[in-house]
Amino acid sequence: MSDLLKPGISAMQQGRQLCKVCTMDSLISANTTHCPYCGSPISVRIKHSQQKMWALLLTAIVFIIPANLYPITYLLKNSTLYPDTIFSGIISLFDSGMIGIALIVFIASILVPILKIVALSFISLAVHFQWQFPPKKQLFAFKIVDWIGRWSVLDLFVISIMVAVFDKGNFLSVYPGIAATSFTVVVITTLFAAQSFDTRLIWDANTNAK
Amino acid sequence: MQTIICSHCDLVSQKPTLAAGYVAKCPRCERILYKNKAVNANKLFALSITALLICIPAFSSPLISIHLLGITEEANLLQGAIMMIDIAPIVSFVVLFCAVVAPVLLTLCITFSSGCVVFNKRPSLLNPVLKLTSILFHWSMLEVYLVSFMVAVFKLISYADVYFNSGLYFFVALLILNMSMLCEYSNTKYWEYLRNE
Repeated sequence: MSDLLKPGISAMQQGRQLCKVCTMDSLISANTTHCPYCGSPISVRIKHSQQKMWALLLTAIVFIIPANLYPITYLLKNSTLYPDTIFSGIISLFDSGMIGIALIVFIASILVPILKIVALSFISLAVHFQWQFPPKKQLFAFKIVDWIGRWSVLDLFVISIMVAVFDKGNFLSVYPGIAATSFTVVVITTLFAAQSFDTRLIWDANTNAK
Repeated sequence: MQTIICSHCDLVSQKPTLAAGYVAKCPRCERILYKNKAVNANKLFALSITALLICIPAFSSPLISIHLLGITEEANLLQGAIMMIDIAPIVSFVVLFCAVVAPVLLTLCITFSSGCVVFNKRPSLLNPVLKLTSILFHWSMLEVYLVSFMVAVFKLISYADVYFNSGLYFFVALLILNMSMLCEYSNTKYWEYLRNE
């Protein structure tokens, strides 16, 4: 840790950059591409953070449509195929009286991906156009999105368990549908989108905020 | 005066002197700036070795068995993912990675780095292991798997009789070990150890 830095202003304004991997700081210069302490690539802010995030978010927006419209699982019962979309699965859970479970699945597979895309786009736009929203609230929203994102994997795990249990050929089997792959793409791209966003940009855009 | 840079908002602050177990928060973004964790490497080493051993039955023993069409069938964690490989390779890859590969690798990494601290060694491999650890944190999703398992059980109840098997107990044990490991672990402290501070 350096003794030369002044508290109260950002490290970037004082020519220092922080390594996200080993939390050591080093001098910003054209020659320092790697952290002198741990050797991982270093930059003042995550490189092309906004571009990367938008590319991933747009992919997620494209794939969220087939993920919700096409069947996520097929139930093969006595040689008849019964397709199930994310939404119809939730409805059938709701109808059989398991409201709590239906709510968990609804939050994890429908609400969270949409919420993630909306929140990340909003924060990113606010940063880009310098809308001067309270940065603390933006960071709070980001941290919630970041934490809750992992729970969308829930539906994929449920599919894998159902496939393992129902494998009786034509009598009773479960197969993943097209939407399963699309949904996986949505989950993975939104997870990577959140990781590629640099929260320090929020404060860079709100220079006069306390 | 020592200073510290906030990783969330890039503000420079005075580095506080903290008693063990206390946490310093950034004055601007109010996120965690610095934790003074008393990392007990011996404890971590023991926990992670136990977790590695428990991994074997947790992933290979059946989690549940269901009674259906007159047959009792068992299902373990790996089966479903492997059965999907032909139809939906991406799904099965993600399931395998988040539920099996990432937790096992994370445990291996923590075993290795804690072993280094316990035996007071600083091999060159420790650097990439610590880097890998910080990536794997995001991808180890055992707790999500347990909740998914519960959802799946509730879905299954309407089709068949469901019985819990030994694998589930091993899995819950693994989850508890994994969580106590992650509570104890501190990447910053291990980097400090590697830099010989």
